[in-house]
Amino acid sequence: MARKVTRKTRRKSGGRQSSPRRKSTARRRHARGDGGRLRRWFRQVPWKRLFAGLAVLLVLYVGYLDYRIRSQFEGKRWALPAHVYARPLELREDLALPAARFERELELLGYRLAYDTREPGTYNRQHRRFRLHTRGFAFWDDNEPARQVEVRFHDGRVDALIDMETQRVLSLLRLDPMYIGGIYPDQHEDRLLIRLDEAPEVLVRGLIAVEDRRFYEHWGVNPGAIARALWANLRAGATVQGGSTLTQQLVKNFFLSNARTLWRKGNEAIMAVLLEMHYDKDEILEAYLNEVYLGQQGKRAIHGFGLAARFYFDRPLAQLDNAELATLIALVQGPALYDPRRHPQRLRKRRDLVLNILAEQGVLSRAAAREAMAQNLSVVRRPSRGITPYPAFMDMVRRQLRQSYAKRDLTSEGLRIFTTLDPLVQSDVEDALRRQLRRLDGARGLGGKLEGAALVTSTTGGELLAAVGGREVRFAGFNRALDARRQVGSLVKPVVYLTALMERPGTTLVSPVSDTPIRIQGPNGDIWSPQNYNKVSHGVVPLYVALTRSYNQATVRLGMQVGVDRVVAMLRRLGLPREVPAYPALLLGSQTLSPLEVTQIYQTFAAEGFRSPVTAIREVLTAEGEPLQRYPLDVAPAVDPLQVRILNSALREVMRHGTGANAVNWFPDAAGFAGKTGTTNDLRDSWFAGFGREHLMVVWLGADDNRSIGLTGASGALAVWSDAMARMGSPPLDPLGGEQLVLRWVEPVSGRRVGASCPEAAQLAFLPGTEPQEAGRCPSREDADWSERAMDWLRGLLD
Amino acid sequence: MVLLRKPCLRLSGAVILLTMLAGCVTNPSRDGFEPDGEAAGSTVIAPRRGTSAAVLDLLERARAASRRGELHKAEALLERAIRIEPKNPVLWHYMAKVHLHRGRARRAAGLAARSNSLAGDDATLRADNWRIIAHARQAMGDPAGARAAQARAAQLAGDR
Repeated sequence: MARKVTRKTRRKSGGRQSSPRRKSTARRRHARGDGGRLRRWFRQVPWKRLFAGLAVLLVLYVGYLDYRIRSQFEGKRWALPAHVYARPLELREDLALPAARFERELELLGYRLAYDTREPGTYNRQHRRFRLHTRGFAFWDDNEPARQVEVRFHDGRVDALIDMETQRVLSLLRLDPMYIGGIYPDQHEDRLLIRLDEAPEVLVRGLIAVEDRRFYEHWGVNPGAIARALWANLRAGATVQGGSTLTQQLVKNFFLSNARTLWRKGNEAIMAVLLEMHYDKDEILEAYLNEVYLGQQGKRAIHGFGLAARFYFDRPLAQLDNAELATLIALVQGPALYDPRRHPQRLRKRRDLVLNILAEQGVLSRAAAREAMAQNLSVVRRPSRGITPYPAFMDMVRRQLRQSYAKRDLTSEGLRIFTTLDPLVQSDVEDALRRQLRRLDGARGLGGKLEGAALVTSTTGGELLAAVGGREVRFAGFNRALDARRQVGSLVKPVVYLTALMERPGTTLVSPVSDTPIRIQGPNGDIWSPQNYNKVSHGVVPLYVALTRSYNQATVRLGMQVGVDRVVAMLRRLGLPREVPAYPALLLGSQTLSPLEVTQIYQTFAAEGFRSPVTAIREVLTAEGEPLQRYPLDVAPAVDPLQVRILNSALREVMRHGTGANAVNWFPDAAGFAGKTGTTNDLRDSWFAGFGREHLMVVWLGADDNRSIGLTGASGALAVWSDAMARMGSPPLDPLGGEQLVLRWVEPVSGRRVGASCPEAAQLAFLPGTEPQEAGRCPSREDADWSERAMDWLRGLLD
Repeated sequence: MVLLRKPCLRLSGAVILLTMLAGCVTNPSRDGFEPDGEAAGSTVIAPRRGTSAAVLDLLERARAASRRGELHKAEALLERAIRIEPKNPVLWHYMAKVHLHRGRARRAAGLAARSNSLAGDDATLRADNWRIIAHARQAMGDPAGARAAQARAAQLAGDR
């Protein structure tokens, strides 16, 4: 637009002023002799007007360049993506946190091991005693200053937390939160924008030393450098040296064109000077750090040091060492020429040259430069494809934000978003899922088709701590945790039993229910007669046995008695965010739900009847750090807490004697948890949802093309769940409390009272007055035979 | 090495927070419905014995924030406390008060109910939670529910 206008103006002003004159001069040239003619013509040329015209042209042209460069600069500068942070680790005395886990957090945050901890962001460790110099962080509710602290561990817990300066015990210490990514406009090239004050000093000073030593003195161009470069190029007979300042390079990067014409060079020089007139050196340097072209991956251009650090080293810029920073500086000269994956030798030579310059210029000590030169390039072979290491979690953050913010605000206002992500839990879940998928995929010969998804929330307020959307955990593709809607199978059964407990007066966990063949006639006359998983009917059993061993016929009978519509209503009360049709097959989990929806429902079990929306965000701040929006703790009473505690006492039994009993193979504490397996027809889906005192975790395994994966909930998802929970060291539920309830040990054959020493006994909760009175006897081997057989068969499914 | 601890001071600080927050519960409301306040024996709930130093510290900061009128900060600090001790019913109770004070009746009622579900046989705490629920129901336009909640509170206060 601007260009057109300017051109038009140029033509107009030129045409109007000079055309008539030229005509008349030409006529006169014919009429007179040659010598005098020229002189006369010369005298008659309206020089003043011509100069004025040219000056106007020049001013207009420079104005045009000024407009272009400023709109480029401003456009990039103000398009600040939202910055997203993980939860800060809050240390306190007696916090359950093994020393190794604490060190992992420090590594994730990029704290460096150092002998002395004079600098913020350093630590050292002697066995269970850490000294660290925290970075400090301006949280909106409280400023956390940088300080030197000693943290001692004992027996998997924080034993002492001491401020080294005052020698006082600190009751609380928040570390800085980990930066986990930005929210960028989709159509835009991705960037990891950094602020100048966040950039490593070696990088900034090194860039200036290598590329433009007089950066802070010149005004956009450096004639001396250009002359030197010209001379060098003339002597070599080719372009061997560039004389461009960082400002000129920035301009060049704004209008990426590789034509090496004098015209373009001239334009660049003018624009560089213009930039320097409008902006100060630091603003220009910051733009340079984010704009410079540093590599290519197919169609994706890698701009800026923030993204380049991820692309080449798979780490944030702040965590790179001297050798790696020098490698990035080396790449500025020509990312293709020095492509580390194609020309590692060439790049290494240039990196060492850079390191020598850094030592010469005093950016690095000689010793540090030598040490860096001894290092390999250490470029990761396969660049990560995304701009966040946690794509599934970020997806959830983005969706939640979009409910309240316009896309433009998220990608341009520089909002700061504090999330609930726990990077330690996240990496545990990733590791467990990866390991178990590899094992199961191999054992079932699925050729890499086995997929999985997992979510972990805090039982307290539904905070999402971890999310994995597929086996390629870094890949921002189909997010199965949020978008894969699959049949849930037996995961729905606790909802059926809770409905029965609440809506059929007198129903208890030991009420008899008949697990025998059942026929249900549909509205069009179809007959549905569900089978049990092992094709065996078990006769009359106590209610809790039908639930913990996942009997289909008993469940359908119970569900039909209370009414499918009542079960659907219960699903909604528990937190299912949408309507689902009330077909009898729903009682066995024909309904498709996403792992997130399942998490929402089980969250209400884990919180003993209180519903909290699963949330990934704690607060949103403006770029200036002012709170814009909080997502406060939200608990709403959904279901009678006593009834949920009764149900949960049965879900604990799932882990002791039911379908979840094999979890102890991976996780010795599993018997103290509550959970439920889910399996669908032809073994297409393998589910497990389980919770302890702090964490609820839901796992789904299946194939995207819905083929059979040959796994039950117990043989597939349960293994992932227990592996992850073991890694997390997740605490089990508190012992069953008797407040307002009566606890009884009962046997599984007829649901009568027995002693706690009976191996088959289950401890269950009852409303006062409904507990079983009659004493039974501990089942002998023969009595227990049928259940043993069932258990053997289940165990056989596990590898 | 001298390690100083001041739990008593912290505890007293926390009590002041409660006194301040208690004010919102004892304010008489409109519509002729008047939940009983201090006169009818409402007591300020103190943190329980065994509350950790970290939580007491946060409570003290929450008190300072609410004294400055920064209830959103008090709310965030109480949330941090709840993350540390999620089974501590007193923390949920304070949180309910802050929400009530901020005009979020539905949330306040939910939090008070959560506090009750963890309160065991602590009749004083449960009575106070029912008072919060009464206020919240009144604010949500449910005077009958508010009266019922008030009756529960009175009954629990009587049981004491």
